[in-house]
Amino acid sequence: MNELDVLSVNIWQILISLFNLAILYFLFKKFLFARVKAIVAKRASEVTAEYDKAQKATEEANEIKASWEEKIKTADAKAEEIIQAAVEKADNRSEVMLYESREKAESIVRKAKADAERERAEAQATIKQEIVDVSTALSEKIIGREINMDDHRSLIDSFIDNMGDE
Amino acid sequence: MSILLLILAILPIVAGIIIKIMFVPAVEGISVTGAHIFFTIDLPLGGLPITESQVNSWLVILSLFFFCLFLTHDLKTKDISKRQVIAEWIVEAVDKMVLKNMGDFFMGFGPFIAAIMGLSAMTSLMSVVGLFPATSDINVVGGWAILVFFVITYYKLKAGILVYLKGFTEPVAFFAPVNVASEFATPFSMAFRHYGNVLSGSIISVLIASVLGALSNLVFQWLPEPLSSIEFFRIGLPAIFSIYFDLFSGCLQAFIFAMLTMLYVSNGFPQDEYFKRKALKHAKENKK
Repeated sequence: MNELDVLSVNIWQILISLFNLAILYFLFKKFLFARVKAIVAKRASEVTAEYDKAQKATEEANEIKASWEEKIKTADAKAEEIIQAAVEKADNRSEVMLYESREKAESIVRKAKADAERERAEAQATIKQEIVDVSTALSEKIIGREINMDDHRSLIDSFIDNMGDE
Repeated sequence: MSILLLILAILPIVAGIIIKIMFVPAVEGISVTGAHIFFTIDLPLGGLPITESQVNSWLVILSLFFFCLFLTHDLKTKDISKRQVIAEWIVEAVDKMVLKNMGDFFMGFGPFIAAIMGLSAMTSLMSVVGLFPATSDINVVGGWAILVFFVITYYKLKAGILVYLKGFTEPVAFFAPVNVASEFATPFSMAFRHYGNVLSGSIISVLIASVLGALSNLVFQWLPEPLSSIEFFRIGLPAIFSIYFDLFSGCLQAFIFAMLTMLYVSNGFPQDEYFKRKALKHAKENKK
């Protein structure tokens, strides 16, 4: 007998077939389903991790943005302050400068006045002297004699002083 | 690596063809026989004949194993290859089918259903390359049906033996013998349905081939001697018919077998009683 009948039952063949199916079940479970499910789960966890990362990054960015906005706001205030301070400083300085320059001008004027005064006094003295000299000489000529110089001088001085007072 | 595994997946089928050519004598004329017996191992209960069914089943398992390795080696989470798309598609499709037909309690059945479909379809499809389809051997499908029967009974027993036994007396105790008979009829009907369909396909293929041969002789008998003995109708035409009987019927029977497995297991499982029992047990443990 080289061939089975079309319908022949053999308990061992049935058992082998039964275990064949069981073995294929384990093979599929281990090498197809477990592997694919593991990779799918891994991918899912990776995607979640990626989402978490993205969320975290967004949060961080928002935080940074908020802090910058805050900074910009304070920067505006600070700039205002600085400008205020600068303006104040400039005002102060200009006032000081104004004051100084006024002072300087005044001192110059004062000095000029003093100079003029002094020069006038000097000129007065010189003119006086010259008048005295001239008048002495004139008097000598007129009178024709030597007069007491000192007497004469005091006389003329008083005359001129009087003249000046008038 | 991929190519090597793919070659290893195809190699068993090639080996099957080589074994067939070397050891199985060509069948002359019209004959419908079972699997060819290579040798017999002495065992009680009739001995174990190693036949084409066994060898072809093992070859299919080997082929499917290497195909699995081919699909699932070097899986990635990004930039996935076409292999991985196919692997994920298979797993997803099977899981979806299991979920639809059995519910989420039976989600672990994915590999089992995939194994039934893969093994059944592949062994049936071996007839496409001219090999003996192992599913046309009652012992092969019988083994699967018995395994399925064990699984069905295991899940029926999950709610306790009393619930299992009580199930036979429904709707009335009078029906108990009928229910017992129908219980044992399940594996028989599954096995014989599958076996009968594949075998009938084989028989019809043989019949068609012989009819076409006779028709060819009749039509071309006027041709001179060497030409008239060539059966022209047997070139190509039987292949067209075998597309239905081998390809379509093979896949269909695999699908039906898997479908019946899912329905029998999930219908036989007394879900309400099981969860009630589980809740009771839980409550008792909490009391302690």
